[in-house]
Amino acid sequence: MTTAETLELKPKKREKYYITTLKRLFKNKLAVIGLVIVILQILIAIFAPFITIHDPIKQNLANSEMPVFSEGHWLGTDNYGRDVWSRIVYGARISLVVGSVAVTLGLVGGIILGMLAGYYRKLDAIIMRFVDLLFSFPGILLAMLIIAILGTSLVNVAIAISIWSIPTCARIVRGSVLSIKEKEYIMAMRSMGASDLRIMIRHILPNASAPIIVFATMRMATAILSTAALSYLGLGAQPPTPEWGAMISQGQDFMWSSPHLTIVPGIAIMLTVFAFNVLGDGLRDALDPNMDLQQ
Amino acid sequence: MNKKWLFALVLIGLLILGACSESTIPEGAESNGSSSSSEAGDQEVIYASTTDAVGLSPTMTNDSVSSSVMSQIYENLFERNPETMEIEPKLAESYENPDELTWVIKLKEGIEFQDGTPFNAEAVKYTFEKLIDPATAAPRASLLEPIDTITAVDETTVEIKTKYPYGPLLAALSHSNAAIISPTADEAQDLMQNPVGTGPFKFESWNQGDQVVLVKNEDYWNGAPTLDKVTYKVVPEVSTAISMLQTGEVNFIDALPSEQLSRVESLENIDVTKKDGTPVYYLTFNHSQERNENPDFRKAVASAINRDAFVEKLNGLGVRSNSVLGPQVFGYDESADEAGTAYDPEAAKQLVEENGFGDEPIKLLAANRDNFILMAEIVQAQLTEAGFNVEIETMEWATFLDTARAGEYDLTFLSWSNVTSDGSEMLYPNFHSDNVGASNRAQYSNPEFDKLVEASRTTVDQDERKKYLDQANQLMLDEDAVVVMYHGVVTAATDKSIKGLELDPNGQWFLQNVTRE
Repeated sequence: MTTAETLELKPKKREKYYITTLKRLFKNKLAVIGLVIVILQILIAIFAPFITIHDPIKQNLANSEMPVFSEGHWLGTDNYGRDVWSRIVYGARISLVVGSVAVTLGLVGGIILGMLAGYYRKLDAIIMRFVDLLFSFPGILLAMLIIAILGTSLVNVAIAISIWSIPTCARIVRGSVLSIKEKEYIMAMRSMGASDLRIMIRHILPNASAPIIVFATMRMATAILSTAALSYLGLGAQPPTPEWGAMISQGQDFMWSSPHLTIVPGIAIMLTVFAFNVLGDGLRDALDPNMDLQQ
Repeated sequence: MNKKWLFALVLIGLLILGACSESTIPEGAESNGSSSSSEAGDQEVIYASTTDAVGLSPTMTNDSVSSSVMSQIYENLFERNPETMEIEPKLAESYENPDELTWVIKLKEGIEFQDGTPFNAEAVKYTFEKLIDPATAAPRASLLEPIDTITAVDETTVEIKTKYPYGPLLAALSHSNAAIISPTADEAQDLMQNPVGTGPFKFESWNQGDQVVLVKNEDYWNGAPTLDKVTYKVVPEVSTAISMLQTGEVNFIDALPSEQLSRVESLENIDVTKKDGTPVYYLTFNHSQERNENPDFRKAVASAINRDAFVEKLNGLGVRSNSVLGPQVFGYDESADEAGTAYDPEAAKQLVEENGFGDEPIKLLAANRDNFILMAEIVQAQLTEAGFNVEIETMEWATFLDTARAGEYDLTFLSWSNVTSDGSEMLYPNFHSDNVGASNRAQYSNPEFDKLVEASRTTVDQDERKKYLDQANQLMLDEDAVVVMYHGVVTAATDKSIKGLELDPNGQWFLQNVTRE
C-alpha cells in the first residue's frame, strides 16, 4: 500500500536539499554579509545586559550630549545623558522582537488566506477581493490608520504592520498553491481520499515554503523600517523606550550640536534593513535555482 | 526588466510633475512683486513661522500665528505697556467708572479705518456686540462674557455695563481678539480673508499655506511706519527657517526652541532678543481621581521633581519659580517663588514607600511637542527614581487637548500663554470649577479657591484684585495642586539690520517702529 509518507522527500534527500541550498547561499558573498550582520544583531539583542554598562533609560542630566568616543560612553550620550550605545543595543531587541512578531502574525494570516484562496475556487474571489481592498491602501497609511484606532504603542505597531503584510503574503501563497495543487502527487493524494486539510498542511505548505521564507526575510527588513518610521512619527514606541526611530526623531533637534544622535541610530537601521534585504535576495536565489531562467 | 522600465517612467513622470509645481510658485510670487525682496536697504521685513494663519478676523480666530499678523492690522482700545505692565489707552483716550458696573470710555478722535470708515463709538459697539453674539460663535466670546450692554453715547463715547463688577475688563479689552474691526468692511467682505483695521499696516495678499503680505498704511493716525512691506512666510521646519535666516531669505523668526538656541546665537548676522514672558508650563494631577486627591501622593510627586535641573536644560529659555502666576503676570507675588513643596528626593522615596504609591502604574500624558516631551522624559525619570511606576503616553496636540479635557489621564503637562497677562485670565479658565469639562483640564475643583478667583474677577480695585489672586495662587501651591515646571521666555531672532522691534512678554510683537538699516 502506498502511503502519503512515501511520497514525501526521504530524510536523506531532504538533508541534501538543505545542504545544496546552504551551499548556494554561501556562494553569494553579499548574502553572507547579510547573514553575519543578522546573526550578530541577534546575539547583541540576546546578550544586551552583558555588553552594556549603562542602563539605557537612566538619565544623567549633567553628562548630556557627550560626543562619540567620550570616556565611559564610546557612542556618546543623548540630550538626557543616556548612553547611546546602550540605547542602540536595547533598541536592537525592540526592532527584532517587533519585526518578528509582526512578520509571524502577517505570515499566519497570509498563509491561511492564501491557502484557502488557492485551494478552494469558490473562496478565491471573495478572499482575493478582500486582499485587493487591503492593497488599495498605501502601506504606511494603513498602519497609521490602524494605530489611530488602536492607540499608540509598540504592540499596536506590530499588529498594524502584520495586517499590512497579510495581502502580499496571501498573494504569494495563493500563487504557489495554484501551481502546486495541479501537480500529479497532489492529484494522487486526492484520489486516495486524503482530507483537504492534510493535503494543504502536509503536502502543499512544505512545497510552497521557499517563497514564504524569502518573503518573511524580506518582510523583516520592511517591518523593522516601518517600526522605526512609525516611532519616528511618534506613533510607536513611547519615550523613554530606546527605539531607533524614536531616537532619530529626538536627535534631529540636535543635528547641529550633536549629529551622532541621529547618525548612529540611522546607521543601525540602515545596516539591519540592508542585512535582511540581501539575505532575502540570497535566499531567493538559493531556494529557487530556476529564478535565473525566468528572468 | 519591465518593472524597471515602469519604475523609470514613473520617476520621470514625478520629476516632470515636480518641475511643474515648482515653476508655478515663483510666477505667483513675482506677480506679488516679492522676488527682489531681500535686498539690503529695502524697508521690508520677511518673517517666518512654522504654521499659516488660520484667519485674519480678530472675532473669529484664537491662535498666536493669526494674531501675529492681526496685531499689525488692527488695534485695541487699550494695550498693556510691555515695560511697566500697566494697561494704557490705545484707541481709547480715557475711561472712568461712575459705578462698579459701568465703564465710560472716551475714544480718540479723527481716526479712520484703512477703508476710510471713521473709527467711532458705533464701530466699538459693533465689534463687541459681534464678538459676544452667540450667533457669531466666536472662539473667544468668553473674553467679554460679563458685558451686559454696550451703548454709543455719542460719536466718541462708549458706555459698557457689565452683569457683575468685572475687574479684568481692561485686560480683556487689550486682548488681540478684542481688536476693533471696521463695520462697513465686515458687512461687505469676509474679514478672515480680507482684514480691515486701524493699524499701521494694511492687508495686501494672502497665498494660503505660503505667505501673507502687508503694506504700509500711509494714513496711519499715529504716523506712518517706516517699513513699506511685511511678508509672513510659512516654513514648517524650524531648522529650515534658521537656515533661511542665516542666508537672509527671511529676516525674523520668533519662539526659538531651546535646543536650537545655541545655533541661532552663533549666527553672525543675527540678533537674539529674549524677554521673560507670561507663558507657564506645569505638571498637573487629574483632580477628578481618587488617588490624586490624597495630599501625600501629590506631595510625593512634587518633592520628587527636580525643577532646577530641568530649567537648566532649557538653555536660559525658562524662568524658575514655583508660583503658578509667573513674574510677568498680574497677581504674582515674590513670596510665591518658594511656596509649595520643594525638591526633596529622600522625602519623596519615603512617602512612596510608606504609602505604596509605586504599586499602581501612573499614566503620564504628554503632547507630542518638543518642550512637552522634554518635561515628560525628565519628570518620568525623576519619578521612577523616587519609586513611582510611570508610563509616558504621547499624543498629537489636538488629540491631547481633547483627551486632557475629558480627564483621561493620571498626570499631564499643560501650558497657558496668557495673552492678557492677567492672573484672573489664568486661574479662572484653567482651575475654576465652572470650567471643568472645558478649559479646566486639571479637573480642579476647590470651593475656597473658586471664591478667591471670583473675588479677583468681580473686584474693580486693582490692588485688592492682586491680593485675591495671590491668595488663590498660594492656596494651590500649599495643596500641591500643580507642580510648576517653568515660566516661558519669549524670543525673537532678527537680522542685525532690523531695529526697533517690540517684543511683548506674551510673545506678541509690533512692527510699527521697526526700521531696516
